[in-house]
Amino acid sequence: MNLDFKIDGGDICVKLVGELDEYRARTLRPDVDKLIDSHGIKSMTFDMKSVTFIDSTGLGFVLGRYKKLRQKKAELLLKNVPPQVDKVFRTSGIYSFVPIVE
Amino acid sequence: MNNYFMMKLPSDGKNEAFARSVVAAFSLACSPTVEEINDLKTAVSEAVTNCVVHAYKDSVGVIEISCETDAAENAMTVSITDYGCGIPDIAKAREPFFTTRPDEERSGMGFTIIETFTDEMYITSSPDKGTTVTMKKVFKGC
Repeated sequence: MNLDFKIDGGDICVKLVGELDEYRARTLRPDVDKLIDSHGIKSMTFDMKSVTFIDSTGLGFVLGRYKKLRQKKAELLLKNVPPQVDKVFRTSGIYSFVPIVE
Repeated sequence: MNNYFMMKLPSDGKNEAFARSVVAAFSLACSPTVEEINDLKTAVSEAVTNCVVHAYKDSVGVIEISCETDAAENAMTVSITDYGCGIPDIAKAREPFFTTRPDEERSGMGFTIIETFTDEMYITSSPDKGTTVTMKKVFKGC
């Protein structure tokens, strides 16, 4: 599946789409990691607007990207988090280290 | 009248979306709210993921899902059974963030999410025989 993203200097915004479960996370991971490994990344924003479902595997995917970005001294940001996704995120406490931006 | 159904499917990751959607569709008779449907879908997805990722690891086995509505309580009970490796320490497995596979970026939140998103959760498991996770969701509406 093609990844929808925008690069603005060192800031990359990725639009995630559909259901972020075990099946989808597996195929998404290498594509997103390729972007993270691109030269001079400062931040990555996940636009969650079109994510219709997430479970703990999708959460693991997001946490994994946070760790990978941190190793590169870059930050992860979240945007447009829908209610179902928000509930899973709140249960995990991810907001204490991954902020939501407008 | 209490309604019920059972299904069997192979522990293929592709089936997760199907499994949670079927259970969600069955719950519609209880007039759940959108949030309650999402809670149920998320909880079912966690239990099915456990079968795919942990119970049968690199093999494919059978997952049995049974659902029963309770008309008097406007609730639904979902049982998800595998015949895989079993859980050696259930108390440990229930701890938030505990995972046996940290190398794979597992969040360790599966059972915590089922517990938080449903009203009751029971786990029975024996090593090399399998695991059954039973969850009950009460639909309160509005």
